[in-house]
Amino acid sequence: MAGGGAPVPESGGRGGKKKRPLDAVINVVPAIDLLACTISFLLFTAVWTQISRLQVQTGGAGGPPAAEEKRQIQVTVTLGERGMMLTTSAGIAVEIPALGKSPDGQPVQDLKTLLQKLKQVKNEYPDQSSLTVAAEDGILYLDLVRVIDAAVGVGLPSVSVTAAG
Amino acid sequence: MPIVMPGRRPAKRFQDSKVIGGKMQHGRKSVNAELNVVPMVDMMTMLVIFLLMQFSATGEILYMQKDIKLPDAQHGQTIESAPVVAISASQIVVSGVKVAEVADVEKGEDFAIPGLEERLRDEKKRWDFIHQNDPDREKNWKGDVNIQADQKVPFRILKRVMYTAGQAGYFNVNFATLDQSNVAVAKAD
Repeated sequence: MAGGGAPVPESGGRGGKKKRPLDAVINVVPAIDLLACTISFLLFTAVWTQISRLQVQTGGAGGPPAAEEKRQIQVTVTLGERGMMLTTSAGIAVEIPALGKSPDGQPVQDLKTLLQKLKQVKNEYPDQSSLTVAAEDGILYLDLVRVIDAAVGVGLPSVSVTAAG
Repeated sequence: MPIVMPGRRPAKRFQDSKVIGGKMQHGRKSVNAELNVVPMVDMMTMLVIFLLMQFSATGEILYMQKDIKLPDAQHGQTIESAPVVAISASQIVVSGVKVAEVADVEKGEDFAIPGLEERLRDEKKRWDFIHQNDPDREKNWKGDVNIQADQKVPFRILKRVMYTAGQAGYFNVNFATLDQSNVAVAKAD
């Protein structure tokens, strides 16, 4: 390859016998061609926007409950205009009021508090994996996704979405 | 990689020859030069590695639309191929075909959206036809549907879409989000 390493002396030693030169030129043109083609292909097929999915079940449409789920409790997050309400079948009922209103009149939900409360529930019931999100009609897709994302992050991946009320 | 002047020149083995090597130079200064391609090959190799890391074998399942701004999520899974219901502020589109206006859906008294249900049933029929020879067809049916909704779409629209999807046999709803898991990892570091 041009500009590669230092040349090897053509002759050496005291014998005076002329050795065959070891210098070689590697033709890098095919390698550059291959790299150029690969780069073109990868640029054409590249997906720049990474889109993920949050899987949910529609209310009551999931499969039959497994035997393990019998040890679990029912955890519900009710998402409304005034805030959130975390309730469990074990008797926990925590109200998480909204932080205020955004300029477009939508409630700003207190997701940090919800995250803490969900962590507490998960610590208390480590086998728990399901959660139901009950949303009011006016709740935006953004808020719904944030709550589901928080639940999945805490370790409650089986999320069901249903309408509140 | 050598750059050489076009025209006749002595073969490499004669370049050092005093007899033949000098005959073709005609006393002019040689314009031959060696071009160092090592940095270019290095750069291309790094580019290939970066693009290979970005490469997604599943391809682009959802196409970003101007009127749909997706919310961010840090714990999403890899998206899978399934019918896509795109909900913008004005219309509902299934796999590129408009099935309903959002304003009509809000006004409508019926909970299900007829156009959407029909379209999803067609998609299911297509899936059934493709898998007609599969003995475990019923077991393999997962009922996945991707919902690509704008951030500002209210739940009253979403619940109707989800209900209609369930009526058509699509009970596994996947909400499309922008993957921010890499951002979360970077922040944690």
